[in-house]
Amino acid sequence: MSDYLIETKQLTKIYGEQAAVKNIDLHVKRGRIYGLLGRNGAGKTTTMKMLLGLTQPTSGEVKIWRKTLRGNEKKLLPRIGSLIESPGFYPNLTATENLRIFATLRGVPNRHAIKDALDLVGLPYKDKKLFSQYSLGMKQRLAIALAVMHDPELLILDEPINGLDPIGIAEVRSFIRELCDARGKTILISSHILSEISLLADDVGIIDHGTLLEEESLAELEQKSSKHIHFTVSNTSQAARVLERDFQENHFSVLDDHNIQLYNLTLPIGKIVTAFVANGLEVSEAHSCEESLEDYFKRVTGGEGIA
Amino acid sequence: MEINLYLLLALLITLLVIGYLLAKLHRVRGQLSLIKDALMDIKNGNLNRRVLARESDLTNQICYDINEIAMSSQSRLIRQKQSEQAYKRLMTSLSHDVKTPLASLVGYLEAVESKMVTGAEQEEYIRVATEKAHHLKDFVTALFEWVKLDAGEQIFHFELCDLNELSRNIMADWVPLLENHNLSYEIEIPETEYMTRVDTTAYTRILNNLLQNILTHSDARQVSLTITETEQQAKIIMADNGKGISAADLPHIFERMYQCDHSRSAKGNGLGLSIAKELVSVHKGSITATSDPGAGTTFTIIFPKAL
Repeated sequence: MSDYLIETKQLTKIYGEQAAVKNIDLHVKRGRIYGLLGRNGAGKTTTMKMLLGLTQPTSGEVKIWRKTLRGNEKKLLPRIGSLIESPGFYPNLTATENLRIFATLRGVPNRHAIKDALDLVGLPYKDKKLFSQYSLGMKQRLAIALAVMHDPELLILDEPINGLDPIGIAEVRSFIRELCDARGKTILISSHILSEISLLADDVGIIDHGTLLEEESLAELEQKSSKHIHFTVSNTSQAARVLERDFQENHFSVLDDHNIQLYNLTLPIGKIVTAFVANGLEVSEAHSCEESLEDYFKRVTGGEGIA
Repeated sequence: MEINLYLLLALLITLLVIGYLLAKLHRVRGQLSLIKDALMDIKNGNLNRRVLARESDLTNQICYDINEIAMSSQSRLIRQKQSEQAYKRLMTSLSHDVKTPLASLVGYLEAVESKMVTGAEQEEYIRVATEKAHHLKDFVTALFEWVKLDAGEQIFHFELCDLNELSRNIMADWVPLLENHNLSYEIEIPETEYMTRVDTTAYTRILNNLLQNILTHSDARQVSLTITETEQQAKIIMADNGKGISAADLPHIFERMYQCDHSRSAKGNGLGLSIAKELVSVHKGSITATSDPGAGTTFTIIFPKAL
């Protein structure tokens, strides 16, 4: 099995003169949540549409399950669940009736698929309420139910939390996590909200002005952006003692015999180094890392930042 | 002429029937080729693969059964993976949570051994080192207890006893400790007898861990224990007026190694609540927490009455 469930090569989409997406190489790993982060108009939706064959790329290639999407749509697309903008539901039918139409068209994996999908998003089964009477949040929930009804292996969700209230957002977030952890699904989501992506995604792709600027795991990003002071010394046991005795500090962690990290950034590095040396320690490195995730995104996107 | 007309009609009907059958055959062949592909995929280890079928398909029962088999194997595999991951997390936390205190403990002892300190300071160093050694010992003990519970190796002795009497005895042991920490307490346990089947060691452990948790983390000035009982269940409420737990941390407090203070300072070990939860579930009970940051936390345990 290949590591990448979705792989794109030099994917480009040009509308007239305007390049909406330029040479994107996307790598989505199996069984993980990939968050595509970018501001409005950065090219997230266009990229997702190309992944689903909803619009043809100007150049470049999309591979899903190691097969080129073009020419294999009939085989590949039924295995994907998607939510792009709002799907066309009949306003004069109920949620259950709407889903039944899609179930008849596409087929379902078992007899209780419609009920399961509605349960998952917290909508009532066989309710009498018409789709036209639904609130924005309920419409969004129904759209998510439609995306998961056929139990797809891959989910592509464009801004899935749009229109949801804070409780709804938390619910959707936890069931997306659940789909990945407990059912092994691969999920690609997009958002313009940094905190949303950092709460949910395992891997992050940052897209800006149609270009993929960075692609990394969230763990690596957090490692990079953690706030700490790092010391490399000859003996970490002694360093730990000095910190406790001379600075009354116990927010640190010993990485190994020579490396120690301190989490209180208000401490004076110079004084600590002096104290280390006075206690017979050799200090070969001392530096502080204090870039937050937000600072990092600001830097990557060229100063404009992401809300 | 008449006969010819009938013949023509019969021919037409026959053609229609043949056409219908051919269409059915075509659909079944399509389904069979889908099933073949899916089975190959499942055989190669992709247990997420589903075969979609419509209600009208002749093959639908076969498809649904394949899906069910794949799904149940998948969930078994994921459970196994999750416990492997939990074990890995445990090892990482272990190496971290033992390494830092051990390093500083060594630091104090080295300082004493190399005569860097003398007199009263030397005494003080030995006292600190002993305290740290005890803390480590407690941590390792708690950890082994957790591992034993997690692996299902702990043996319980359920016996019929008076829950009210037992709770009073446990609290009696805590009174001097609470007074030492300047904590006022309020204990409301019914005077009547409430016979139920519990493991007394486990029950003691649950209350101890909750109280220890309040003592270590809450900065509370007051704790209260209230027990109310009905024919079906006993409700044990432990509340404090401490700093509370933030909404972001609250869902995770029963997870092993989760600590609200993310820098993992020397206090606590992140195991107490997790052990308490395991022990409550052994009694088929439930434990929940609600908190009002700044105003306190309330733990509620519900034990079904068992005879």
